Amino acid sequence: MALNVLVVDDSAVMRKMIIRTLRLSGLPLGDVFEAGNGQEGLDKLSQNWVDLALVDINMPVMNGEEMIDRVRQNPETADLSVIVVSTDSSETRIDMLQKKGAGFVHKPFTPEGLRETISQMTGVAQDEQSPEGTLPGSGPDF
Amino acid sequence: MSNLQKELYRAAVLTFEELGLFLPSPELDDTQRQAAAEGTVIVPFGGPFSGHLVVTVCGDVLGGLAANMLGEDEVTEPEQRSDALGEIGNVICGNILPRIAGTRELFNLRPPRVMLGGTPGTGTDTGHPAVTAQVGLDTGRADLALFLDGDAAARLEENPR
Repeated sequence: MALNVLVVDDSAVMRKMIIRTLRLSGLPLGDVFEAGNGQEGLDKLSQNWVDLALVDINMPVMNGEEMIDRVRQNPETADLSVIVVSTDSSETRIDMLQKKGAGFVHKPFTPEGLRETISQMTGVAQDEQSPEGTLPGSGPDF
Repeated sequence: MSNLQKELYRAAVLTFEELGLFLPSPELDDTQRQAAAEGTVIVPFGGPFSGHLVVTVCGDVLGGLAANMLGEDEVTEPEQRSDALGEIGNVICGNILPRIAGTRELFNLRPPRVMLGGTPGTGTDTGHPAVTAQVGLDTGRADLALFLDGDAAARLEENPR
């Protein structure tokens, strides 16, 4: 099963880093969509089939927590797998996100950490061979 | 070195190592010390206490930083350099706050404001920073200054987490 992924982060550089890590991770990737804030993320979700959303917390216009709340309230997206990728590592915040059914990856993240959390959230394991010939988990930390 | 200064230095080293793929050094050589400002990022935050973090990168560092983050050989676009510096500031700020305030406290970081070029360093910011730190980066350096509103700095030094 190829995963269609939505990456929501107000930093274009961070979106590219996450997408690059995903491509090197060995996970089967389908279409990858990008959004610069929570509202843009909701718009992408309404227009495309997405299996997994990777969402930052602190963003202008609409932050990640509000976006996740809206996702859970919409019957069409209520069951979407969501992973928060954020610098915010407050235990209180992580508890709140877990209650919303979201996973958590702390920035700076490692490719292994991101891949493992995605596998846990989606049940999708990595391909036997990484698509770009790089051994999964051998890359740098991000 | 105070507890706050140690934590600011550690958060900066972690971020430049893991996000920027640099090898930060605690000691500066003459070239690093004399490097001119290349860009500054300010990250305001609120929560149990408020303030802002200022990171000024000096020397010819930003191109390599952005290139490392993007996995490219070279990054010349100012927008990408600016975005990379903004994310560095964001990650350092997000990492320093739980280190000094405790992991149960909730903070909200506001979007980073980035200024490229010979922008003012931390010394000309309004008020006095609660703590400063410097990190050597390749042929340049990063100057960091954490500004805390009210008496937060004194309380944190008295009751380190």
